Amino acid sequence: MNRRDFFKKTGMVTAGTVAAPYILPTGRMFARTNAPKAEYVVMVMFAGGVRQQESVLQRYLDDSQEVTGAAGNIMPNLFTGIAPDRKIVYGTDPGGGATRGSEPIPRILSQSMEDTGAVFKEMSAISAGHYVGLNTLITGSLGTAQGLKTRPKYPTIFEYLRKHAGFAALDTWFIANGLGNSTPLLNSSKNEDYGLQYGGNMFAAPYTFGGVGREILGNGKPYSRADLDPMYFMKNFLDQSFGLNPNQLETIKNTDEEKTKIKEFIRAVFQRQDQGLIPRPPVSDNGDAVTISYAAEVLRHFKPKFLTLNMSAVDGCHSNFTGYLRSLHRADHSVGWLWNYIQNNIPEMSGKTIMIIAPECGRNLNPNPILDENDWYAYDHSDANAMRVWSVMVGKNVPKISVGSEGNKVGKLTDIVPTIADIFGVYDEVKASPYLDPQSKSLFLRM
Amino acid sequence: MHNSGKNITAAFVMTMLLIAGCTKEKNVTFGVNDKVVYEDKSLKTKRKSDAEYISILYTNLYQVPISPNQLYKTQNVIYSIGDRNVANEMVLSNYFNTSTLKIPKDSEMRADVAAFVEKCYKRFFLRYPSEGEKTFFINYINSNPNVSVEMVYTAFSVSDEYQYY
Repeated sequence: MNRRDFFKKTGMVTAGTVAAPYILPTGRMFARTNAPKAEYVVMVMFAGGVRQQESVLQRYLDDSQEVTGAAGNIMPNLFTGIAPDRKIVYGTDPGGGATRGSEPIPRILSQSMEDTGAVFKEMSAISAGHYVGLNTLITGSLGTAQGLKTRPKYPTIFEYLRKHAGFAALDTWFIANGLGNSTPLLNSSKNEDYGLQYGGNMFAAPYTFGGVGREILGNGKPYSRADLDPMYFMKNFLDQSFGLNPNQLETIKNTDEEKTKIKEFIRAVFQRQDQGLIPRPPVSDNGDAVTISYAAEVLRHFKPKFLTLNMSAVDGCHSNFTGYLRSLHRADHSVGWLWNYIQNNIPEMSGKTIMIIAPECGRNLNPNPILDENDWYAYDHSDANAMRVWSVMVGKNVPKISVGSEGNKVGKLTDIVPTIADIFGVYDEVKASPYLDPQSKSLFLRM
Repeated sequence: MHNSGKNITAAFVMTMLLIAGCTKEKNVTFGVNDKVVYEDKSLKTKRKSDAEYISILYTNLYQVPISPNQLYKTQNVIYSIGDRNVANEMVLSNYFNTSTLKIPKDSEMRADVAAFVEKCYKRFFLRYPSEGEKTFFINYINSNPNVSVEMVYTAFSVSDEYQYY
């Protein structure tokens, strides 16, 4: 084949791949609007309000506790930089009378994500609060009036992907870190154009798979297909007879087969718990590590095209700065472990996945008066500093690049949803949504 | 003497008024028109809360109320799963794996399928089945010998209608 033929044929194949239409579950013909960049996306909503100063700026105690000479990087899996060499309290306890937390957790990844991917060093959050911040990451909208105890006001990324990219319910997952802060409601809006029929699957993992979940769910009968078919047949008859319309839905919809797979998965997790087979980060002494473990289980079992998970342990910073540093260090450790797990233990996803990590909000510039065990001040999140965040993106087709810097903001959290749409090849369709922040755009276009 | 006459007259008038004011009580019996008090499915527009659903389901199957602690735990676990139907089905399958459940035997169902179907509708939906509904279930149960009470009860318990009132 000569050079001319090669370009002609590869061009046609590429164009065909991009434009090849297929039928969506809604019955509409669908053509991708751009070439997909990766087959899988994992988004980490990191980790409950993170200050720029102790994370991407690597200032450790220098910008928070009026300590000098104690700057350094405590997030070695995400960022490149030398660790602090003074007043180390964020690691594990070596015992033997040594200072508590004085042994940093060794880096899991051979290279930091900053060394292999894109870092947006200074972005804008939309809100200084958790739930609106999480909503921003999930919906890409400016819904600052979002209330607690209600589903997102605007369509979520799960709904966009299921409606526009034709993803099945089992292709989209949200792993929540608990029941608080209304997080279990983030798997779908009730928007009339999208809504629960397009919602993502969800586990609030510490509950579903914790002691209570085991007690309530763990003794179920393992029905065979022959048992389930008549049950679903009769149920479907009853449902047809009742005739619920889509606006009355109060839960997302899986097919009977999908529901059976989810139940089998829950039972399998309980069995794997008994056998000690649930994968865990080497240091897993907080709730975030537990959440990440079950996210890894869902990834391993279902290989969903899109999974997002929420972490929140660093929010202890409201009253305990030392605890915040420990949680931040562990969040970095857990995320590094998850990325490593995907690459080494899930061959279907290895090399085909993009991971996006971003906090939902920052934290204040000035502390509150609460002192911790080291006489360090705690921080809330309500001022302009709490609107400063960063984002890291790593994986297939992500270039190594650093974008923006302190004092030079590039991008905002509403960019994450269009970025995911861009990765899956449905950028134009999602950008056309009237619910998206009109100023948002794919982070690939901001590089 | 003059005053005494006035008093007699007044007493007489009072007595006459009292006699005139008393009438014999009529014996009236009120009747009530026949009225079916079971629900109509078209009127079920309000969704049961998780707490209501679990409480009603538990009481229905065990014939005793659920404890507040058990209710709270069950509510949380259901809330922790994105697809409530999956959660409800799993909770139910746990219930069916206990020995204290109060449900009819399969042989009782097979002995009079029509009566069983009618009882199911009344027990779960608080209404009578339509002729079409009744026919469907009678035919389905009769033509599928593997269908058990547990299967029928599961179908009713996780149906959309059972989640509304």
